[in-house]
Amino acid sequence: MLVLLPFVLLALGTPAQETPSFRQDIVPLLTRYGCNAGSCHGKLAGQNGFRLSLRGYAPELDYDWLTRELNGRRIDYARPEGSLLLLKATAQVGHEGGKRFDKDSRAAQTLVAWIVHRTPGPAPRESDAVGLDISPAGEVLEVGHTRQLVATARWPDGRTRDVTWLCQFFSNDESTVSVTPEGLVKALRNGEGAVRVHFQGLVGVALFTMPYPAVVEPSRFAKKQNLIDDPVFAKLAALHIPPSPLCDDATFLRRAFLDAIGTLPTAAEAGAFLADNHPDKRARLVDSLLARPEWVDFWAMNFCDFLQNRRERDHDVRGPKNVRAFHAWVRGQLAINRPWNQIARDLILATGDSSSHPEIGYFIYTIGEKQNVAESEVGESVAQALLGTRIGCAKCHNHPLEKYTQDDYYRFVAFFAKVQLKRTDPEKGVTTLSVASREETDTRKEIERAAKALADARALPAADASARKKVLEAQKRLDELNERVVEIAAKPPTVTQPRTRKQMPATALDRRPQTFQAGHDPRENLANWITDPGNQAFSGAMVNRLWKHFMGVGLVEQVDDLRSSNPPTNPALWDALSGEFVAHGYDLKSVMRLIMTSRAYQLASDTVSANEQDRKFYSHYYARRLGAEVLADALASATGVADSFPGYPVGARAVQMPDPGVNSYFLTIFGRSDRVTACACEKSADVTLPQLLYLENGDELRSKLRSPDGRLASLLKKTPDNDAMTDAIFLATLARHPTAGEARAVNDAIASDDPRDEVFRDLFWALLNSKEFAFNH
Amino acid sequence: MFDVSLGRQRTQLCNGTSRRDFLRVGGVGLFGLSLSGFLASQARAQSPGAIVKPKARAKSIILVYLGGGLSHHDTFDMKPDAPEEIRGKYKSIPTTVTGLRICELLPRMAKTMDKICLVRSQSHENDHHETATNWVLSGRFGSPFGDYPAMGAVVALETGFAGILPPYVAIPKNPSFTWELGKSAFLGGRYESFKAGDPNQKDYKVRDLARLEQLTSRAVERRQNLLAAVDTLSERIHGNDQIATYDQFQKKAAQIVTSKEAQSAFDMAAEPDKLRDEYGRTEFGQSCLLARRLVERGVRFVTVNFGGWDHHAKIWMNLEKKLPAFDQGFSAFINDMQGRGLLKDTLVVCMGEFGRTPKINKDVGRDHWGRAGSMIFAGAGVTPGGVVGASDKTGSYVTDRPCRPADVAYTVYSALGINPRDQVHTPEGRPLEILSEGANIGELFS
Repeated sequence: MLVLLPFVLLALGTPAQETPSFRQDIVPLLTRYGCNAGSCHGKLAGQNGFRLSLRGYAPELDYDWLTRELNGRRIDYARPEGSLLLLKATAQVGHEGGKRFDKDSRAAQTLVAWIVHRTPGPAPRESDAVGLDISPAGEVLEVGHTRQLVATARWPDGRTRDVTWLCQFFSNDESTVSVTPEGLVKALRNGEGAVRVHFQGLVGVALFTMPYPAVVEPSRFAKKQNLIDDPVFAKLAALHIPPSPLCDDATFLRRAFLDAIGTLPTAAEAGAFLADNHPDKRARLVDSLLARPEWVDFWAMNFCDFLQNRRERDHDVRGPKNVRAFHAWVRGQLAINRPWNQIARDLILATGDSSSHPEIGYFIYTIGEKQNVAESEVGESVAQALLGTRIGCAKCHNHPLEKYTQDDYYRFVAFFAKVQLKRTDPEKGVTTLSVASREETDTRKEIERAAKALADARALPAADASARKKVLEAQKRLDELNERVVEIAAKPPTVTQPRTRKQMPATALDRRPQTFQAGHDPRENLANWITDPGNQAFSGAMVNRLWKHFMGVGLVEQVDDLRSSNPPTNPALWDALSGEFVAHGYDLKSVMRLIMTSRAYQLASDTVSANEQDRKFYSHYYARRLGAEVLADALASATGVADSFPGYPVGARAVQMPDPGVNSYFLTIFGRSDRVTACACEKSADVTLPQLLYLENGDELRSKLRSPDGRLASLLKKTPDNDAMTDAIFLATLARHPTAGEARAVNDAIASDDPRDEVFRDLFWALLNSKEFAFNH
Repeated sequence: MFDVSLGRQRTQLCNGTSRRDFLRVGGVGLFGLSLSGFLASQARAQSPGAIVKPKARAKSIILVYLGGGLSHHDTFDMKPDAPEEIRGKYKSIPTTVTGLRICELLPRMAKTMDKICLVRSQSHENDHHETATNWVLSGRFGSPFGDYPAMGAVVALETGFAGILPPYVAIPKNPSFTWELGKSAFLGGRYESFKAGDPNQKDYKVRDLARLEQLTSRAVERRQNLLAAVDTLSERIHGNDQIATYDQFQKKAAQIVTSKEAQSAFDMAAEPDKLRDEYGRTEFGQSCLLARRLVERGVRFVTVNFGGWDHHAKIWMNLEKKLPAFDQGFSAFINDMQGRGLLKDTLVVCMGEFGRTPKINKDVGRDHWGRAGSMIFAGAGVTPGGVVGASDKTGSYVTDRPCRPADVAYTVYSALGINPRDQVHTPEGRPLEILSEGANIGELFS
């Protein structure tokens, strides 16, 4: 060996003087070359008998599998470069995964050096890198140009090291920038794109900006209405994307109604707004909309989507009754414009029975039948709904895109470890949520018994010496138990990490140790951490949801996938918005008002040349199909014929439905949320063929247009004048007057011999089938 | 957690990409290449040099989906020599294939086995309905919520609306347990399946498809003129995908509603009563018959969804209820397809998301079992009377020719002449191979 070692090193010409570390070199190498990827040896079953932990989340297991399995056949100490591990990876023997690297590559040399040094294992006290710096972190690039990234890792002792060759590089938007496995970035088109760099659990990001060629006249960014417009227009100016002009009043009116309260303006409301000459009328409309009862209906639905208000899939103990009660609870919060941090707090701390505390419904659904919260979905649901953070991946393996480890996941879930649900069929009684460990519950029962024993002893004649002794004994027992229950109650909640079998004490995602006070619900610590004004994930998640709702595209997409590796498209705007939200005490309406009164929100949806390609910098309002419930209500209100949903009174609107289980073909094909998970992606904005068949040819819409009680029948009866008739139909559907060309087309149709009723019915049909109706624009 | 857009980009894959990785010479090597040279060589590696675009064997696919998981022990992979708690209650009967025996509850299938190929080695490692269904329907492993487009959606993307009918149709609807599966995922609504409903219903009509009003051609023209006059949003807004899709389907819907060909495709009354009876007057039987009508008219991918095989309890009672409809419908379908020469260019695949556990449980049921299951293939050159793969003596594990979800999907795509290594794009423009692994199940065609 002593002879062999220098020989091998010399032969390979390697600079490796140091012994490669299993954790810092070998595992990152296996990750970098994809050996432990989910489609190869990283999958649960391994690949062809060789298993590795997914992306190296369990180095201790990897070490065993690599060096011990098959009697160590994978490693050949006598001839390191002939080890099966190397022969396979370099495809010198058959390898289904092909050649991962060359036999004289740095990767191969590192593996050889590790074997030469007798394959040192993961050292228990060896610390992982704690920071990853990417250079350059951001840069303006011309399309077609390239840039090599350099990644430097930092260790707690201040040591740094260039780890570029061990990193994995991914483009967050491959149509804008590409990156090679070695970290060479190429600008592909105009716009902006981020590149993520992964080293072990660390993630770094580099942002590349490729402005469009033609500089935009600064005057086009001059008009601003509030603090939102500065960062939006600054970003557009930097990218050379011109904004569309301000939209007209009719467009704004309809847009504001649909976005703020989910209804169409009535013909009367439209007429009044269009006739109003007050310079401040848009801001005043926003205020009046935010104060309307329909606002509560609409936002209760939106909130119930991500709070998963639905019945359980199996053995449901919620039933329609509890689903309705939870919906009513959310409505109650919104009706008084309760600050979001307080709503969230009450939700996290929900305790009691389902009849007086319907908010426990959140836990009935997310914990479900699981006795062990670690097996339930409560952790990922809370993180996604309240923090816009997806930690669910870390349930089974370290998060591939974030710093979150499996330990983090279970520590987070542990806040709920003391939650106990006494589930009862809703027909037979109430379900109760209490917070106490089983041990504590049992001890409290013992205390009751001891207290009774004490009372019994005291009831004995006082003169009796044995009775006095009994009192003393009972008192002692009770005191002991009372002391013990305090100790038990003060124990931090824990869950078992299923892979390591270790007890994980409750810790928030920032990993700071928690102290728990006896007698307090441990969820209070979680609520404090989540709603802390410094927790940007909490404020940011809500602001991003609202921004996406009004602007069509989130500053972070997906809207509930906030990660350091998925930065907002406009960080200055992100900071401004979440800062305002916190400064205004988490007032939801104040953020909505801020967005709706900005110029950015009020831009036309019509594109201008050079902003047609923009889909994420808000150069124009992004037209989008109305959501299922809003479109259903719009069809009902425009035609004047209400829908009827089974189990609800006629006239109850789709946005008022508490339960996604309400049977409705329309809501199904137009993509309402099933609320199975907290993911906002469950609500679909897709346009599909059955939707168009429904609108063009469906019996339901046809009946609405032919109903003797509908708007069309009543207009036909009382409006003899054809122009007035046309105007009324336009106002009822599109909330605007017809253009001259449109009026002419109607008159041409009437001038033929066709029956008047039929012509106007067809006009109504055409308007309901137009994109201007089906889209918010 | 269930994000489709991130996290799987450039996953280093076991097959297919190995050639590309061959070019990823470690750190130093790359810089020796000029960038354009590198990209060119990368492009070569990605081009079909390794995988020649397969020659199409089939025009259409019919997927008969047995959602919930058919018990292979009690149907096509019986274990008469296993202990009673494994072999179950039923006896096997001989079939038209020498030496091949199947369950006594499938007498008509027994007479049809010489026309189809039995695969006794469906295999994967997942026992969760939604996760496994998404896996077998897409050939890609992902979350239970369907990160990857189902085969039908990819076929719709690749073949487009060639005729008047949608390219991807589900009868009566997509598989579903709590939420809909078999969806187009990131490909978007344009490629979702069209749901035909239950063709066994009296006066069956596809919802919103049949023209309800006797619109005169004059009235149709008037409507379209008015629509053209008021529907002007797409003239003012450019670059909006939803608007483009809306326009496309608006035209398509108008065509379908007025097309005799489209209407007649779903006209079950046009089939002779005798033939309808042969298929069985069940939802499944008539769905198979409708599937035949649709592929005759150029639909490229039809799912016949026949769920309800999740028999955790009382499995005998349940199988005795369900198997007769399957036996009658599927055998009549195969015979009819063959009689009409349609099997020549239609690939029929019948499968569920998994098999069921070898051991009968305390509730006299069998539970989920992904490691072994049975499938049926027919048509498009599949060897009639063949048997591919095998499971062990208790039906627990596959011992011969495991057929993984990606292999099934690979076979389906190849049959249609679609290269499974072609790339599709996510809305973010991220390129992704249709399949990252898998290979043609050549044994089916030998």
